[in-house]
Amino acid sequence: MWVFAKCKACLPQAGTKLVAYIRGIGVGQTQTSNRKMIWTIGGGKGGSGKSFITANIGICLAKLGDRVVLVDADLGGANLHTFLGISPPAFSLSDFIKKRVPHLREVLIPTAVPNLQLLTGAQDLLNAADSKNVQKKKLIRSIQSLDSHTILVDLGAGNSLSVLDFFLMSDGGILVVTPEPTSIENTYRFLKSAFYRRLRQSVSSSSVKDLIDSAMDRKNEMGIQNPHDLIKAVKRVDEGDAQRMIDETKIFHPNLILNQVRSKKDIEIGFSIRSACLKYFGIHLHYLGYVVYDQEVNNSIRRRRPLVLENPRSRAAQCVMEIASKLANSH
Amino acid sequence: MKSIKDQTYYEILEVSPTATAKEILRAYEHAKETFHADSMAVYSLFSEEEVEEIQKAIEEAFRVLMDEALRRSYDQSHFQTVGGPPTEKSSEPPGGSKEKKTSLSFTGLSFNIEDGPYSGKTLRRVRERMGIELQTISKETKINIKILESIEEEVFEKLPTLVYLKGFLKSYARSLGLDPQKVIEEYIHSMEESKKE
Repeated sequence: MWVFAKCKACLPQAGTKLVAYIRGIGVGQTQTSNRKMIWTIGGGKGGSGKSFITANIGICLAKLGDRVVLVDADLGGANLHTFLGISPPAFSLSDFIKKRVPHLREVLIPTAVPNLQLLTGAQDLLNAADSKNVQKKKLIRSIQSLDSHTILVDLGAGNSLSVLDFFLMSDGGILVVTPEPTSIENTYRFLKSAFYRRLRQSVSSSSVKDLIDSAMDRKNEMGIQNPHDLIKAVKRVDEGDAQRMIDETKIFHPNLILNQVRSKKDIEIGFSIRSACLKYFGIHLHYLGYVVYDQEVNNSIRRRRPLVLENPRSRAAQCVMEIASKLANSH
Repeated sequence: MKSIKDQTYYEILEVSPTATAKEILRAYEHAKETFHADSMAVYSLFSEEEVEEIQKAIEEAFRVLMDEALRRSYDQSHFQTVGGPPTEKSSEPPGGSKEKKTSLSFTGLSFNIEDGPYSGKTLRRVRERMGIELQTISKETKINIKILESIEEEVFEKLPTLVYLKGFLKSYARSLGLDPQKVIEEYIHSMEESKKE
């Protein structure tokens, strides 16, 4: 029970204001800055709560006065609209990809929440994913150029190159994990793929790129077991690329949200994941916060009503608000 | 990026070179919890051999850093070689602008071993988990050990008047790195509830 009390007790000032604002008791809008932020929400495993968190954080940020666009990039399993209580929209990313509309803004769907718009996903993208790289890059550029303060991109499960490239397009990638071995395992797999892809993008030598590709397989012939081994191997091939990889490691800071936590031990897993990532990848993962397990989450999903609107006083909603206030303050 | 063999004892335990014994104890507890064989956090990321290697490094780092003489000698020999102790700043990446955008520290929770509500039993559990003797607390806070025992065992009739008790709880909480205000409020609340019963 303590965990719930802690969650409420530790709401920072901004979070408290946000709660007050959402409940309509008189806290004014707090506009942050005009700098655009893109957050991609991924994590490898389906069912970890990415869409729930994306939708509810988006609402919180919009309520704070940010102009927010939610992008449903769950290619093939798009249902972010359901979390917002919207019926399957008439327009989607598909209309943009198929050039039925000239600009991405024309498929933006308004929501019941002021300042919040939605770009729904497209089944078509699934097939186009890895083969049409040009199309993917154009889509990423178009998303990045949307006129908005904050763009939250909800990614699908899996480690396809499309998902990885969407994850890496952001200012901050957010991993949503539940405290279960399967979820953590998938998240590590996803993180490793994203990390190696980012390293690959930072180097110029084709032999180094090949080396990185081989290192993805732990049974590789070079005996490369971890990123440290990889950098040692790259140093022997190209010192410059090795240095670029080290520099890239230093600026790669994904974020972590632990969802459906039930105990203090669960919360501490977030800190342990952070430590494990530091030892294994040499990266500083930021533990952004946690969302407690709460039956109200399921209730809100069944009612197709966002939790932070339906039941802002619920424990899970308060945790989401707290994380949202942190994101708002990062502008 | 350094392999575990190349990391300093401070890096292994993720503490600053100026860390106090209490901070080292906490970091050690956390490291042990993270890198034990059944830990979910290492599952699928590290091989069994890698986990064993890290565990050994953690034990060795803890052994040396908790011994004043060994630590002094380690600092002298190590930092003479590498040109000064590592600092928080030196481990940060260059070119802070990108870092600023994505550096989001954890909100809403400091890594306390125990979060309360604080009663005598909770305080004792926190202290024991940190491996600190009551005698040490007594020495540090200058509070008579009998009073500390009464606080932990919740022998309320042996406790001093409220104004003194608050002062003792404040010092005790500080010595464990806990929030003094929270400890005072919750301990006194629990004491009052007990008296009512």
